[in-house]
Parts: sequence; structure tokens; C-alpha cells
Amino acid sequence: MMSKPYSAALPIARIVLKILIVLNWLSGAAILALLVVMPNQQWIMAAFDLSPSPETERLIMGMRAIAVLGLVVVPLSYVVLKRLLAIVESVRAGDPFVATNASRLQAIAWALLALQLLSIVIGTIAKALSTPAHPLNLDAGFSINGWLAVLLTFVLARVFAEGALMREDLERTV
Amino acid sequence: MAIAVKLDDLLHDRRMTLTELADRIGITLANLSILKTGKARAIRFSTLDAICTALGCQPGDILRFEPEQEEI
Repeated sequence: MMSKPYSAALPIARIVLKILIVLNWLSGAAILALLVVMPNQQWIMAAFDLSPSPETERLIMGMRAIAVLGLVVVPLSYVVLKRLLAIVESVRAGDPFVATNASRLQAIAWALLALQLLSIVIGTIAKALSTPAHPLNLDAGFSINGWLAVLLTFVLARVFAEGALMREDLERTV
Repeated sequence: MAIAVKLDDLLHDRRMTLTELADRIGITLANLSILKTGKARAIRFSTLDAICTALGCQPGDILRFEPEQEEI
């Protein structure tokens, strides 16, 4: 058997993913807090230096909508992070080519797809709200890299499904 | 599977145990048991070669095609 070169990728990925899972929940809590505060228009207007007008009303409604969508992002991100962590653990355990990992990747791909769609919706809302006086710059919208990641993950899920079958064949080869 | 493994008969004829054969050809007893009980999905030519050498037989002596009875 070939000896495997040491790679720091797995230990690093494990730690980073664990941190990201915590950060994801924290950002969820932050968005939730924001939503609780948002009914208080006075606060928001003071914070953004806005004066009461239909324009302001629209801006606050839009920001609420973005916050609600941001809340939906949290469980979807959790699906991605948790499954990826499980895949990393299976590689560490020395048996990554199993059907479970194929379905994990499939779940990740669907979650990434949903996240990309959400990003487009959030980006569109942000663009509609943005005015020269109050520009709203959110890092959301269509992303070629994001969609490439979706495609890549779906393909990888298929590769893993094939790999799992081959592994099963090999296991019963004498 | 319509392919039957006749390892039992051959070993019996040569008064050899499965453990002895495993030791001679350098294949684990567990793997050899999988082969003997017909649970294997594939057999390597190198395995066939080793078994034929150890038992002094032909591949055809080990494997036999037995058409399955069609269920009605």
C-alpha cells in the first residue's frame, strides 16, 4: 500500500468547521435579536440617521425581510457544516467511500443550491432598497463561484456514490 | 450466484484444512472463508494462481457453473 503524505487539511478543516458551526448559531441569534429590535422604528431611524417618511418605512420593511431570510440561512448553513464535519470525521476514521457520505454530499449540494437562491433574493431586495442617499451594500446576489460550488458538490456526490459501490466490490474480492 | 466454489471438496481430497491453505498462499483465513462459502463477489487471478499452485489443480476444479433453478 502506498504511504499517504501527511496533510494538515483534515485537522484544520475539523477545527474550522467546529468554529463555523458555533459562529453560525451566534449569527442566527444576532439576526433574531435584530428582528426583535426592528419593530422599534425609532431606534432604527436614530441608528441610521433617518427621518420619518414613506421611504424610511419601505427601507425598514425591506431590512426586516432581509433579516427573516438571513434567519433561513442559518439552518441551511448548519446542514452544510454538520455534514461536512461528518465527512471529515469519516476520512479520519479511514473509510470515506461509503454510501452515507454520498448522501451527505447530496444534502450539502441541495442546501448550497437553496443558499444560492436565497442570496439572489436578498441581493435583489437590497438593490431595490438602495438609494443614492442611503446605499445598502450587501454581499449578496448571483455568484458564478457559488453556482459552480453547487454543481461541483452534486458531481462529487455522484463520484462518492460510485466510489462506495467500487469499495463494496473490492471488499468482497478475494 | 450460479458460480459454485468447490474448495471444500478439493481440500477434503488433499486432506488439507482451510487454515493450512491460507498459510500456504498468504491469504487471510477470513478472506478464504468468504471465497469458500460463496460470498465473494470477485476473485483475483493471483488468488486463483496461488490456490491452483498449492492444490495442484486447474481453475475449473475450483469453480463450477451451476445454473440456478428458475422460480415459478
